[in-house]
Amino acid sequence: MRRHGASHSRLGKVWGDGGLEWEGASSVERGQLIRTMEGILGPEGVISEREQLRSYECDGLMNYRVIPELVVLPETAEHVQEVVKLCHDEGIPFVARGSGTGLSGGALPVESGVLIVLSRLRRILEVDIPNQRVVVEPGVINIWVSQAVADEGYYYAPDPASQIVSSIGGNLAENSGGVHCLKYGFTSNHVMGAEVVLPDGSVVNIGGGKAPDAPGYELLGAFVGSEGTLGIATKITLRVVRKPEAVRTLLAAFKDTEEAGDAVSGIIGSGIVPAAIEMMDSLCIEAVETAVHPGFPQAGAVLIVELDGPHAEVESQFEQTIRTCEEAGASEIRIAEDDAERALFWKGRKAAFAAMGRISNDYYVQDSVVPRTELGAVLKRISEIGNEAGMRVANVFHAGDGNLHPLVLYDNDVPGEAEKAEDVAGRIVLTCLEHGGSLTGEHGIGKDKMKYMPKMLTADDLNVMQLLRCAFDPHHLCNPGKIFPTPRLCGERPGPFRMHPVQKAGLAENF
Amino acid sequence: MDTRTQNVSLEDLQNIVGEQHAREAAAEDAIDGVEPRFVAEPGSVEEVSALLKLANDEGLAVAPRGGGTMSRLGNPPRNLDLVLSTARLNEIVEHVPGDQVVRVQAGMKLRDLQEQLAGSNQMVGIDPPETGAGATIGGVVAANSSGPRRYRYGTIRDLIIGVTVVLADGTVAKSGGKVVKNVAGYDLQKLFTGSLGTLGLIASANFRLHPLPEAARTVAVELADTAAVGQAAQAVMHSQLVPSSVELHWGEDAKLLTVLLEGIPPAVEAQAETASFLLRGFGDVRERSDEEAENLGPLPVPGSFTGGDEVALKISAPPSELTGVLDSTWGACSRRGVTPRATGQAGIGVTYVSLSGGDEEAKVQVVEELREVWTRRGGSVIVRAAPAAFKRRVEVWGPLGSRLELTRRVNEKFDPRGILNPGRFVGGI
Amino acid sequence: MDNRNDPPDPRESGNPYDATDATERGTGRSSTPQDAGAAQSVGAGSTEDLPDDTFASRGAVKQTVGIGRSTETGSYVFPAFDDHHPPEKDLIDDCVHCGFCLPTCPTYVLFGEEMDSPRGRIYLMNKGLTEEPMNDQMVRHWDLCLGCMACVTACPSGVQYDKLIEATRGQIERRYERSPQDKAFREMIFQLFPYPNRLRLAAAPLKLYQRFGIGDRLRKAGVMDRLPKRLKAMEALMPMLTEQQEVPEITAPVGEKRRRVGFIKGCVQRVFFSDVNSATVRVLAAEGCEVVAPKGQGCCGALSVHAGREEEFQRFARNLIDEFEDQNLDNIIINAAGCGSTLKEYGYLLRDDAEYAERASAFAAKVRDVTEFIQELGPVAERRPLPVAAAYHDACHLAHSQGVRQQPRQTLKQIPGMEVREIKEAELCCGSAGIYNMVEPEPATELGDRKARNVLNTGARMIVTSNPGCMLQIQASLKRMGESMPMAHPMEVLDASLRGEPVETLLNR
Repeated sequence: MRRHGASHSRLGKVWGDGGLEWEGASSVERGQLIRTMEGILGPEGVISEREQLRSYECDGLMNYRVIPELVVLPETAEHVQEVVKLCHDEGIPFVARGSGTGLSGGALPVESGVLIVLSRLRRILEVDIPNQRVVVEPGVINIWVSQAVADEGYYYAPDPASQIVSSIGGNLAENSGGVHCLKYGFTSNHVMGAEVVLPDGSVVNIGGGKAPDAPGYELLGAFVGSEGTLGIATKITLRVVRKPEAVRTLLAAFKDTEEAGDAVSGIIGSGIVPAAIEMMDSLCIEAVETAVHPGFPQAGAVLIVELDGPHAEVESQFEQTIRTCEEAGASEIRIAEDDAERALFWKGRKAAFAAMGRISNDYYVQDSVVPRTELGAVLKRISEIGNEAGMRVANVFHAGDGNLHPLVLYDNDVPGEAEKAEDVAGRIVLTCLEHGGSLTGEHGIGKDKMKYMPKMLTADDLNVMQLLRCAFDPHHLCNPGKIFPTPRLCGERPGPFRMHPVQKAGLAENF
Repeated sequence: MDTRTQNVSLEDLQNIVGEQHAREAAAEDAIDGVEPRFVAEPGSVEEVSALLKLANDEGLAVAPRGGGTMSRLGNPPRNLDLVLSTARLNEIVEHVPGDQVVRVQAGMKLRDLQEQLAGSNQMVGIDPPETGAGATIGGVVAANSSGPRRYRYGTIRDLIIGVTVVLADGTVAKSGGKVVKNVAGYDLQKLFTGSLGTLGLIASANFRLHPLPEAARTVAVELADTAAVGQAAQAVMHSQLVPSSVELHWGEDAKLLTVLLEGIPPAVEAQAETASFLLRGFGDVRERSDEEAENLGPLPVPGSFTGGDEVALKISAPPSELTGVLDSTWGACSRRGVTPRATGQAGIGVTYVSLSGGDEEAKVQVVEELREVWTRRGGSVIVRAAPAAFKRRVEVWGPLGSRLELTRRVNEKFDPRGILNPGRFVGGI
Repeated sequence: MDNRNDPPDPRESGNPYDATDATERGTGRSSTPQDAGAAQSVGAGSTEDLPDDTFASRGAVKQTVGIGRSTETGSYVFPAFDDHHPPEKDLIDDCVHCGFCLPTCPTYVLFGEEMDSPRGRIYLMNKGLTEEPMNDQMVRHWDLCLGCMACVTACPSGVQYDKLIEATRGQIERRYERSPQDKAFREMIFQLFPYPNRLRLAAAPLKLYQRFGIGDRLRKAGVMDRLPKRLKAMEALMPMLTEQQEVPEITAPVGEKRRRVGFIKGCVQRVFFSDVNSATVRVLAAEGCEVVAPKGQGCCGALSVHAGREEEFQRFARNLIDEFEDQNLDNIIINAAGCGSTLKEYGYLLRDDAEYAERASAFAAKVRDVTEFIQELGPVAERRPLPVAAAYHDACHLAHSQGVRQQPRQTLKQIPGMEVREIKEAELCCGSAGIYNMVEPEPATELGDRKARNVLNTGARMIVTSNPGCMLQIQASLKRMGESMPMAHPMEVLDASLRGEPVETLLNR
């Protein structure tokens, strides 16, 4: 009996166009599957009732919803391995999920597939300060890593805004960044090794883990950021760094984003590599002020700059930064006096997305990147696009690396607004590509940006990328239907299980 | 002559790249004693693509070559028919100082690139020892070369943000772009890092740049024994210093740990003082000027190795076990009459060891013993350069463990006919 | 396919609904297919839109919100909520699904399941509003919510989860049929705890029980383990009883009169922790307040409203308002966190009551937690030193619900020599949560033990907290671990300081 799991998304789309259509399990098979899963995980680890499955139908992006066939909650790496092996043997597609806070639909379930939730694998397995590393399970929350090593004077550098809830496994899948990634890099620069369950249920150790430069291909580098399409990491070795000697943070208010942008160019141009440099426009400031009351000044744009490092360096460069801001015309400069004030600046910035709920019913968050020198031009264009469509676009972004988060504000209850919002979003994305940028800086392609992939990469580019996928997941079971708009089969002989339905339907080309 | 190259003539190659850019190979084009038949120098990505397509159709074994400085890395090639030189692909494609990004062709020499970037007070944060000998961008990426400054700036995988590659069948593909933050699709530029040309030829690469430091100071401490080395290195690692490098020099002529501090003058002053104070407890501390630091005796450069029986190793181990690395090396060597010398990135856990003296058998045993010890502790021992005969006795890369199968599969997907550097890479790929 | 939770086809049998679908069971009546169809056509409308002769239009069945849906077996299910104070759609829509609430939610921390997080529970409410029926699993997930409001603190979008869960609990109480044992147990709790006189009566045999160490003997004999979990939990939570002290109806200020305040005695507080009340009144008097403690005051209704027992709550609230009215009070002081949060919401909770709505708002506006009040007033009395390191535990209903965090800490720090230590995972509930540790002993125990370990790790010599429930819970956990630590209310500490008592008074308890 075929299940109609797809629901109408908030933007009025039904998932399934262009995606893969799977055959559902018959009721007998489903019952058997549930029993087998319960045998592996215990009844507490399997969710099969419709009403409960619904809570898992989307992640942080509510526009796409699919009810999975089954949700399983393993508690150990061995569980994960057995579950994946079972899915592989039965030809059932599966999707991994951490805390479900992703913004590109990466953890969107597959209809008639299994959703493997890793939130119960949340132990910190090893803290090894002499080697500056920590080994964790994928469900460990980002900030717990920093908390675990704080007493030793260390911290875990990648700090996405969602760090209080997003999991390390999720960070790995998306190669999460954060406000400090300009200086410190992304998740990829801080992962040293991982134990991965491949889509066929076998386990490999990639990366060095304890020691650097493991011989062979840089499989770990390719795995990080692969959005859960190459396997599931069950143990992850992270690098932790020593807390800097000095940290100074300032907040500068400017007339508009252009002026603020000049300040940014000035700071970077003077040879300073700030630990973080973030910008918010007036709409954002308004929303954030209502939500978390950080006490930001009313201004056209606000810049938060943080420098860290050895004392002498920070002092000198901080003075330089203040001068640069003044020269660019800052109307107000506030310097954080202590940790509490500094935390408040960052609270204001990190709550930006969620705070949008205060000034608008709905919003569509984007994640485009442009070269920093193009920022001014692109921001102007975005404002033009917004005005043409009569829609408000709020901007918060990582000024240092050109990673923009335009937030298109709309009201879903007004007919047609959702479509307009999506249209505006699309035009913004294309603008960024035109200026030499990228589709996504940290949120990933997932489901949401799949349709734009051909605009940035040629068919050859995409095919070559999928070669990698074929090496890891020849049977296309691991988070299928994400990243690549046109799935390619891998030329593998189908296994003992059912023939690939796409092949059966003659819908995909064999590669 | 091999039957493979019977169907391909020099003229076929010259038709693609022009008469003066394809020739018969000479003795110095051999790799580990295996002589190719042809050498071609394409001038564009299209020409590379055409050459590879031809080679793939005919099943010719191809070895990409940049500056040839790392030609001795890897197992001896199983076959070698054509050397594809990137010498003519040697320009900067685009450099936008304001974005701190550069796009450069693979055949450009790293030292030339750094010189050009210095004009804008910028640099790529990679300083492999082969730079002076003319290592090219493509080679540095393909071999995942690194030098002392990796302590601060990371290795290639932390600096590369985009790549254009040509696969064995001639397909041209790119990944990444010219922005530092980019997660659209898979990170192929990382996959190709260190792949030794077995997945495809790197035609151009994009890097993020760093500002060129204004001032530099080196603080060195003389150490009495290996225990002191380990402790000193740990002390620096866990301090709040931000050195550019933490280097080890260990041999008969020098027993030093050097810390390089770079940045703006007041910061360098302050940190040099802190570093001196910190290291005082381990031995005599000296500050060295830049020239002296350069002359401390660099590790043997595999590319310039012209003969003799010296064997160069790279031992990767957990950083906290540096003392153990040195002790095990000296122990294994002294028992067999082999003389070791070590340099390396003490703060990272990478140690380069050169073995001299003793006979081949002794050195083989040293490598095998060290490999056994350090593989068990999560590290690896790689033979970076050695006589070809030696390399036929000892597998250059060491065991791959659980990822061998996956590695083979990846290679098969990208190079189904196995024409790129066959036999040279891990697992005999 | 497992059909257990799908209601059988109403066309097929005389008793259409399965025991697990409670949508209509709350009224004990069956419904007809015509009503199903009518409900479908009307949706969340009022009974007036229906034709006269339908069952629904006669008002015997409250109209449900949402239109329900057909199930795969062809039958029909009604949505979970009726239209008397369902969880509000507007408030639900505030949630943008960001997930920031997940790591602060005790049940998510324990179980790792989406439905046991605020985000998931709101999602279930949303589904319940539109189509999904109120079945066992949904109720279970809502029941497991501790009502600690840590999510409210964490939420950047300002979702008023407190209003949502309270509305939901009310719906559950009215529309869901609990199992007989569950019902009986809950009834027992609510027949006892909100009535100080009954608590007092129970206290006497309890004293004997404790004096003769009966509990320990039962434990040694292994009998305790065989008791049902909930009774075992209650037994473990029992406080050691002391002589009860009575708070006088009026207490004069020391020195100049700065304020005239009412004092709420609480229920568990006045019977089992009467020293706290006496200390509070002494402190208030010392700070220049005339303290009025009406004799006839009863329960504030907090336990009832948190459990969704709407009518019972309203009775209690009205009585309390009556007792404190016309007394010419500047403020009304409460020293128990759990009560304080409800008292401050009286205006909202009685908004439908024409007679009491305004009076309730006026009442609520005067309510202050005692430490909040002292800081507002400005301390004047001389504090004598108490050199001791104390761990301050934030009671959820004080920190999350009322936002009172700084004031208790300031109150303690104003005592010379006192060191206030922060407890790790401070925002995580201790598991007391009103009656939660009695009705859901297992998760409560896990949380209590976790909190106890965090407290022990501070290395402090005593614990200070503003809620009797928290005190009992943490003490029970410590005892289970074979540990113990003296506990005190901030007012007991301040009282000791004002009276120049030595530290031992607090430590030797």
